[in-house]
Amino acid sequence: MESGPLAGGTAGMDAEASRRQLAAALWRVAAGDRAALRIVYQDTSAKLFGVCLRILHDKSEAEDVLQDVYVTVWRKAAGFDPGRASPITWLVAIARNRAIDRLRSSAVTRRIEPIEAADAVSDPAPVAVERVELAQQHQRLARCLEELEARHSAAIRAAFLDGVTYEEVAQRMSVPLGTMKSWIRRGLLKLRTCLEG
Amino acid sequence: MSENDTMDPADDGNLIAAEYVLGVLSAEERREVERRLVREPTLAFEVAFWEERLAGLTDAVAPVSPPYATWSRIETAIGIAPRPRSVWQSLTFWRSFAIASATLAAASIAALAYIGLVPGARAPLMTTLSGSAGQPNFVAAVTATGNTLVIVPAALLTNDPRAFELWLIPTGETRPRSLGLIQPGQPIRLEIPSDLLSRVTPDATLAVSLEPPGGSPTGLPTGPVIAAGKLTNL
Repeated sequence: MESGPLAGGTAGMDAEASRRQLAAALWRVAAGDRAALRIVYQDTSAKLFGVCLRILHDKSEAEDVLQDVYVTVWRKAAGFDPGRASPITWLVAIARNRAIDRLRSSAVTRRIEPIEAADAVSDPAPVAVERVELAQQHQRLARCLEELEARHSAAIRAAFLDGVTYEEVAQRMSVPLGTMKSWIRRGLLKLRTCLEG
Repeated sequence: MSENDTMDPADDGNLIAAEYVLGVLSAEERREVERRLVREPTLAFEVAFWEERLAGLTDAVAPVSPPYATWSRIETAIGIAPRPRSVWQSLTFWRSFAIASATLAAASIAALAYIGLVPGARAPLMTTLSGSAGQPNFVAAVTATGNTLVIVPAALLTNDPRAFELWLIPTGETRPRSLGLIQPGQPIRLEIPSDLLSRVTPDATLAVSLEPPGGSPTGLPTGPVIAAGKLTNL
């Protein structure tokens, strides 16, 4: 019975409510409710489109992938397990996997960018979907990444956001492939210890 | 991954899940991981761990609104897609639902009788709130004046200890508004809050969720939605 716009406020309670709302919408999608899919789309499509666009660098490719993502959500919403993943994590994983597969398959012209470009990320104003996330977990990730060697965390960030292979990250950062693998793997091992600790 | 392993002796193969989530593997390696995921729960767990922990990195990506036409394309694609297989059917909860079309008809008549079929300028709004596989669980009707709603159970529900809460999702909005608690075993008449009167329109959605006793503590659905339907003019 509360009132006020969905986008209002940034309290943790609000984030938890958004998360529950999205989870509830996914349950309804699993039950075959198209209106619920629309809710999921309205809440998350801008975020997922941004993620796809970042990987594919091509609007029309990203649109195709986005369509594929929500059709997949429609068919597989029953597979969403709230005990295992938060709703936005589940959606982001689907979007990234589809976008990366598209990138590997193709056809999509790769735009080689210097690694600095990957770091020059914008700091968007928080939208509903951002608040769905668990803020604490994100702070922890940020802290753990800071503990890594700068070039290791830069490589991990770039690989994740751009969905590129070891070869391409190596090329971008102008280091041999073996060195890049070793940087990223060492970074990941350290990151896991930090995230689990 | 054998070639990669030889290139970095420090890697014992435990990082394949992280590498998969990170996205640094080739198409072939990705398919191999996906084949293993099906039969290796430990690997699936690792992938879930990294997906959850790294998802925060996407906060750095600015959201971009997709073109308007994308949603239409999705709707079209879904229109021709098969209905999703629902796991709800496997939940024990659903086994206790007794569904009979005769009950539905009786509920519809009861709902109309409760609101009183008064001829007027405005037709009453009605909907059947269905669950998975489309089975009707409730019938709801809104009076012609728009301020009273009657909801009648159309199926025999179990004695679930949870509360049944009714929600309105106005047309074009994403946020469910609570209309109050209802009873699974008897018709309930609810007064629609004055601030929601204008939002009870054709195409608005009514939904019932299972909540802790006393109703949702957050003001938004916290439990599974067991029935939903769109209002239409009678």
